[in-house]
Amino acid sequence: MNQLLWKKIGLRLATLVGILFTLTILLFVLEEISGFDPAAVKVGANASPEAIQAERERMGLNDPILVRYVRYIGGVVQGDLGTSYRTVHAITDDIAMYLPASIEIVGFAFVLAVLGASFFAISSQLRWPGTSLVRGAMFVAYTTPGFLLALFGILLFYRTWKVFPASGRISDPDALNGPTGFFTIDALLAGRPDLFADVVSHLVLPGIALAAIPAVAIGRVLRSSLSQTITSDYIRTAQMKGLSEWRVLTRHVVRNSLPATLSMLGLQVGFMFSGLIVVEKVFSYPGIGLYMANALGVADFPAISGGTLVLGTIYVVSNTVVDFLQSAADPRVELA
Amino acid sequence: MTAVAVAPRSGWASSVLRLRAGDSLVSSWAAVGLFFLLTVFALAARAIAPFDAVQPTGGPRLGIMVQGHILGTDQVGRDLLSRILLGLQTSWLTALLIVAIGLFIGMVIGTTAGTFGGWVDTLLMRVTDMFLSLPSTLVAVAVAASLGPSLVNTVIAISIVWWPYYARIIRGEIRSWAARPHVEAARMAGVSWPRIMVKHLIPGVIPTAIVTASLDVGAVVLTLASLSFLGLGQPAPAPELGADTAKSLVELLSSWWIPVLPGVAVMILSLTANLAGDGIRKIFQAKG
Amino acid sequence: MSVAVLPEIAEAESPAGPLVAQLKGLVVSLERRGVRSEILHGVDLDIAKGEILGVVGQSGSGKSVLATTLLGLLPASSKPIIEGAALVGEVDMAHASEAVRRQVRREHLGAVFQNPMTSLNPTMRVGKQVAEAAWTKDAEEAITLMNRVAIPQPAERLSSFPHQLSGGLRQRVMVAMAIADNPDLIIADEPTTALDTTVQAQVLATLKGMRDTIGCSIILITHDLGVAAQVADRIAVIYSGSIVELGTSRQVLEEPQHEYTKGLLASRLTLTTKKPPSRAPKPVAEVDTTGMSAKAAQKALEQARAKLRRPIVEMVDLTCTFKVKGPAGRLVDLNALRGVTTRVYDGQSMAIVGESGSGKSTLLRAVAGLETKIGGDLIKPAQAEIQMVFQDAGASLTPWLRTESILRERLRGIGREQQDRMIAETLERVGLPQEIMHARPKEMSGGQCQRVALARATIIPPKVLLCDEPTSALDVTLAGIILNLIRDLQSELNMTVMFVTHDLAVARFVADRIAVMYLGRLVEVGPVEEVTRNPRHPYTRALLEAVPGAGIKLATVRGEAPSPVNPPTGCAYHPRCVFARPECAAGDIGTVLARVSDEQHGPLVHEVACPHYADLKPMEVVK
Repeated sequence: MNQLLWKKIGLRLATLVGILFTLTILLFVLEEISGFDPAAVKVGANASPEAIQAERERMGLNDPILVRYVRYIGGVVQGDLGTSYRTVHAITDDIAMYLPASIEIVGFAFVLAVLGASFFAISSQLRWPGTSLVRGAMFVAYTTPGFLLALFGILLFYRTWKVFPASGRISDPDALNGPTGFFTIDALLAGRPDLFADVVSHLVLPGIALAAIPAVAIGRVLRSSLSQTITSDYIRTAQMKGLSEWRVLTRHVVRNSLPATLSMLGLQVGFMFSGLIVVEKVFSYPGIGLYMANALGVADFPAISGGTLVLGTIYVVSNTVVDFLQSAADPRVELA
Repeated sequence: MTAVAVAPRSGWASSVLRLRAGDSLVSSWAAVGLFFLLTVFALAARAIAPFDAVQPTGGPRLGIMVQGHILGTDQVGRDLLSRILLGLQTSWLTALLIVAIGLFIGMVIGTTAGTFGGWVDTLLMRVTDMFLSLPSTLVAVAVAASLGPSLVNTVIAISIVWWPYYARIIRGEIRSWAARPHVEAARMAGVSWPRIMVKHLIPGVIPTAIVTASLDVGAVVLTLASLSFLGLGQPAPAPELGADTAKSLVELLSSWWIPVLPGVAVMILSLTANLAGDGIRKIFQAKG
Repeated sequence: MSVAVLPEIAEAESPAGPLVAQLKGLVVSLERRGVRSEILHGVDLDIAKGEILGVVGQSGSGKSVLATTLLGLLPASSKPIIEGAALVGEVDMAHASEAVRRQVRREHLGAVFQNPMTSLNPTMRVGKQVAEAAWTKDAEEAITLMNRVAIPQPAERLSSFPHQLSGGLRQRVMVAMAIADNPDLIIADEPTTALDTTVQAQVLATLKGMRDTIGCSIILITHDLGVAAQVADRIAVIYSGSIVELGTSRQVLEEPQHEYTKGLLASRLTLTTKKPPSRAPKPVAEVDTTGMSAKAAQKALEQARAKLRRPIVEMVDLTCTFKVKGPAGRLVDLNALRGVTTRVYDGQSMAIVGESGSGKSTLLRAVAGLETKIGGDLIKPAQAEIQMVFQDAGASLTPWLRTESILRERLRGIGREQQDRMIAETLERVGLPQEIMHARPKEMSGGQCQRVALARATIIPPKVLLCDEPTSALDVTLAGIILNLIRDLQSELNMTVMFVTHDLAVARFVADRIAVMYLGRLVEVGPVEEVTRNPRHPYTRALLEAVPGAGIKLATVRGEAPSPVNPPTGCAYHPRCVFARPECAAGDIGTVLARVSDEQHGPLVHEVACPHYADLKPMEVVK
């Protein structure tokens, strides 16, 4: 049995590698199509066609496509994603610099989304009085583009009420210097609760803009799987035993409602990553999203591709984790 | 179980679709009506628009109802209402087109995989799953960025990541219908395979396909707006809702309506699409 | 029909001894889809300590609402309005507070529900679920409870999940949970409906055993009068929300007072139901040759003989193998048919009887041409000459097509006018009004759907009509009507019928011959009266003993049929056989049918796979 489990895990990991492989092929092909020429960038805008051609030859850009792909994937494996046209830095370095900020905001938004989803599902399942209005507002937020939510947030909480800042990660960019790059953690490590509060206040508006849609998407799935579970026969059996409602809920309902919700959670991580580009742009929040948004503005394809690869990898890995969690939650689900 | 049992699950509406007792369908039909009204409106946008949407027709940043500009003008002096109307047209019709393309490809792949089964099914679904396990919007951004900003490229980019979703759902529906005895009964009655597909399988998928697609239009509208916001839609100066917001972000603190109103238009589209999607779902459930 | 309790019956039958539960003028109305309707119209019922009360009714009679009310578990979403009282001990389960009801459920009540798969929490280990019912964390307690309901190796089952258990074991787990904390009353709502006949008998025996050991009362709710008759002391018949008959089991079965009960009893098929005469070709001995010349008589006899023995479907060593996902996630072979050799004779009706997993449906589907992965020889008429009706008639009709389109599909290439005429004739033949032409399946009742399915199958009369449990989803009275219709169609249209069923009483009613299957093989084949009166195979006996009916002792067959993926060696039945000998496990023993030697042969032979049949004691005659 144990051996079987390992085999299944191995198989799932192999699938993971396969998906990432596909992603690299896709991005490589897209880079080909984009007509982006690193050689032309390297020799400068005023170089002659001959000079570009010579540089292309030198960089191996005229090699057969397969050779170039192997070279590309070799670079990716070693952490070399090429050079950004815009920043003229190694893309890996750029991303390494911006990634903690993005993870911080996504993590924050994720917590908000889960809380919002739980409220959405439980309040409608238990028919809490007065909450239908809140749910209605959440539904409207669900249909609102992320950038508009961000704008509303800025107008209300920054312009009118002045409670939250509207841009950046921290008021004084030089206040914190490492060690982790996660400002919340760094602030705590530095023993600066004032900075921690400042960092969190910068997270609030972009976090809400990022979390609004996932909260409702997850909340709807959670609601329907809760109501399906609650009307099922085995809940009647549990009630039959004379268990208290709390016990029925915690021991029988929750676990059986989890699987569907978990897979929606995994999907929404991907949604947040694409939302990241828009939201970070609006809030000038210095993360990968802003980095990619800026790259988009100048058709810096290597940077876009690198960002997509990194976020895509995080997404695929987190969904694999969700798969594992799902099979842990439901003994009937087989990994494969 | 007798009377307390939940109403028997009919196979006709898929099991995802369930009807709450006593729900009135009036609001559902109203939402669907709104959906069609919006479509007619989008088609007629050019005729309704009071001003040219591309050329400046007044001073910049005119306020609401100034000089006959109902919603004022943008930072260049173009009529905001006209730009929004035409942007709305592009967004709405493009979203419908993308859903239609996705549905078509998904229908073809899903029915093929679902009816043939075996290695055809395995192959098609492997490819589909591969696409599904990638972060779709992110890939769409990369595709659009690689192809360059244009409406056609945006349509291609979103369609590429959108069809696998439909293919999966339709394939699943087809499989579940194909497993029902009525298909075997039709075979026993001497009905040919093509006819079984057309008469006994595909009609069963249509409700799910329509419901899924209509629930999805809103999401496509939002994705389109995001891409446009990031500068991946039509190049300037064409009116585009997301791009218009993005280009006037600096006006936010002084003339907030210039960036906000195009976004509100997106919201109206997405809200209508979602309400109509829910309405269509309920209507099908009630029929089921 | 009268819905009031007949006074003399109600008076006559109050139980002896102290009461554990009492329904007093119980009126329940529920709201469904916004429509409120009264489900129970004033039910009075007393349940004495230690008695088993059978509550019998058809679907929609309100019997489950009665049970749910007594458990205090009517869903709030159905907005129940309850008058009267449903007392358990001193507590009114209809009106007491949730906390009080919960305590009563915990201390005084137990319940077993219809579907053991959905009634157990799929993500919780069985041991934990049982322990929870006993309000303990002690695994020993769970093992004790599981032992009491005869779950084999309970210690090993503790850590199983419900989906890893067989249907019978799951239901035993439910019973184990129901008897935890020695309840005063167990409410069993259709506890055996989802189970095979032999397993049903075991679970009923277990339930009855619980009454005998812990002295609890049991309310057994069922649609099957036979099941109630088998274990109940008293029977209440419920019809559209009212108790129409109440009495001791014997009274109700032997001297029913109410028309409805009489109807139920009349439409119930048992092994003694009077059978209309078979219209199959007459056995040679019965051919009437009076008044014929010797030559003509000779010829008539020969014709009769030839006709009687003319096979229309012939199977030689028929096999069928599926690939299924095994426990290790790997594909393994499932041998649904493991060498079936038999013949079906022209114009006769053969019933194939077995439990789930026996391969009976696969056999039928192979003949239908719906299974392609078959081996061995199968001789049968052209595909167009074979038609089939399915178990779930509603699902066998395309939901979005009207009856008319469904019927016309078989008539392609025939002129429109003739089509219309044939449709009209066929609808009349199966007893449907012409308006049904325009109805879709969901607008029709279950019985109507099955008639439409029959109409489709017979609109161009086939040579062979295959029936896959066509009545098992129907209420008793309706089932009888459909069975009669099939018989009539058979003789009218001169068809051969192959009829798959799990119910020997049904088989006996429709068939001329019976074939009994077990794990992919035939174990006994013979004329219907021979097989039901003088069964030779131990398994056939077990099946017969398990047919529910009053006064028949509960079956003694052990365990459940093992998975067809990994069938036992030798005679596949040997692990469950009460007559098994050591050699039964080896070689090809019990795998080949042989003619029964010690009887006067009728025209149809009686064959059995058990080589020791002659040594078995004759079965106690079923009355």
